[in-house]
Amino acid sequence: MKRFAYAGLIAYALISVYPFLWMVTGAFKTRGEILEGNLLPREPTLDTLIATWSRLHFLDYFLNSLKVTAMTVIGVLVVYSLASYAFAVLDFPGRRFLYWFFVALLFVPGITVLLPVVILEKNLGLLGGHLGLVLPFVNGTAPLTVLLLTNSYSSILRELREAARSDGAGEARIFWSVYLPLAKPAHITVAVLTAVPTWNEYVLTRVSLSNRSLFTLPLGLESLISSDVPSYNEVMAASLIIVLPVIALFLLLQRYFINGLVGAIKG
Amino acid sequence: MSTTTVELPAQRLREQPPARARAARWRRRLVGWAFVAPAVALFLLMGAYTIASGFLLSFAKWNGFTPTWRWVGLGNYADLLYKDPSLAADLRRAAGNTAQVMVATPLLTVAVSLPLAVMLNSVTRLRAVLRSVYFLPYVTSGIAVYYAWRYVLAPDGAINLLLGSLGLGSLRQLQGFLGNPDTALPTLIVVLVWSSVPVATLLYLSGLQAIDRGIIEAAHIDGAGSWHVLRRIIWPLLRPITVAIVLLGVRDALHGFQIFLITTNGGPGGHTDVLGLMAYRLAFMKGLAPSLGHASALGWLLFAGAVLLTLANARLLRRVQ
Repeated sequence: MKRFAYAGLIAYALISVYPFLWMVTGAFKTRGEILEGNLLPREPTLDTLIATWSRLHFLDYFLNSLKVTAMTVIGVLVVYSLASYAFAVLDFPGRRFLYWFFVALLFVPGITVLLPVVILEKNLGLLGGHLGLVLPFVNGTAPLTVLLLTNSYSSILRELREAARSDGAGEARIFWSVYLPLAKPAHITVAVLTAVPTWNEYVLTRVSLSNRSLFTLPLGLESLISSDVPSYNEVMAASLIIVLPVIALFLLLQRYFINGLVGAIKG
Repeated sequence: MSTTTVELPAQRLREQPPARARAARWRRRLVGWAFVAPAVALFLLMGAYTIASGFLLSFAKWNGFTPTWRWVGLGNYADLLYKDPSLAADLRRAAGNTAQVMVATPLLTVAVSLPLAVMLNSVTRLRAVLRSVYFLPYVTSGIAVYYAWRYVLAPDGAINLLLGSLGLGSLRQLQGFLGNPDTALPTLIVVLVWSSVPVATLLYLSGLQAIDRGIIEAAHIDGAGSWHVLRRIIWPLLRPITVAIVLLGVRDALHGFQIFLITTNGGPGGHTDVLGLMAYRLAFMKGLAPSLGHASALGWLLFAGAVLLTLANARLLRRVQ
């Protein structure tokens, strides 16, 4: 029975990593060898990675991606941790309505607001810049983030709040020194859930950016494949460059992230 | 011995002069509003206008360049649903494909992730490593991995070569798995399942770990086999998680189209066209044609579909919570 389980588990592990395997090995093949179809490169070379990195201004794209992702994550954490704190523990008129309103936005498909966002940004002069990506990204994470953070703040014992109050702490102070530290796993979960899709985001970025020097990594990858003679060894090298930081982030934070995610869904 | 009673804070509050109590109440409200102000301000800037103008646009014709809209009332909706033969045909085909994705992806996700979680729960060694490996598709889901899939599924790609070397040459797809109209959509469904199995497995695993081991041991002692335990005990206990997974999958199928845009762009011959992709095309790929109103109307039809499906599942949802 155990042996059967391990066989099944390892079989699925192979399926799970299958495209990565080809991505990783492909990034170490030459232009000629990528056409042969063997998994392991006969003479692994770093040339493809180096050439792809330098030829496509990948450093610029990388820094652009980093900037957009960092601004989005910081924006999400600041804006929605404040709001979720208010939804979870403060008492003010409109609280329940606002909370459900933000959560209900979960049902608005991204494609429904994509076009109006582009039109709005054109009118505001935001289209084509990084801020024009960050604002809708932050706004777009509202439903899930508010749901997760409010849930997590609500599960913190109210006695702690009362104790801090009777010690003379104001709301800002209670929020900062009691709730933020205690809800750390939820914040890490939100940060990962925001960072990963933002890093990989393609559609809004595609339709709003036209200046190459502002491109993010996914657009760099796309321009690589639409160039005259796309070669899969370079496409795989570029893909690997995009994917590695996300995997590193996940491995670094996975303990918090998984606990936070499971806790959030169980509510 | 003094006769003063201990004054409770609550009493003190009640005995405050009305003016001070009112001031305190206003202070509390202002603090609450101050905390939600940034979120509301951002929504008013980015959300309110876009939702409202997008909704209005769905009742107008516009190509994005002329200064004014031409109002057509429900015309765009009528065009999409039946009036304009080319649009209505596209819509029906895309809706059919979306429906297939919406049914097949969650079902297959459950069929793969539940046994996987049960097996993962039954072993101790390697569990943490395997869990990370299973999670990779979720973390990297996006354009880079879709290109890797395109490479693997290409006519001279790894899957065809693998089939050849296993002696299953008859299953090879000479146009590639995404190039053959018969295999393109099923192949994309497999890729979608591949990327949704991670979260589902994780949720099932956490559900399994919450089940009291005593119940299962008792069942085993009473002579129940593994299959019986799975079917009669584990499956019913995990039903709320299954409902959550199915709902998430249905929502993703209605909302998501990025993988379709990158891997096939709806091809070959519209066989992988989905509703989200169709709306994207109407909004951004039609040049000077006045199709923006149609795009907007289709977006709102998708929204209505999402709400209706969720309301239909509301009873199930309540059981989740």
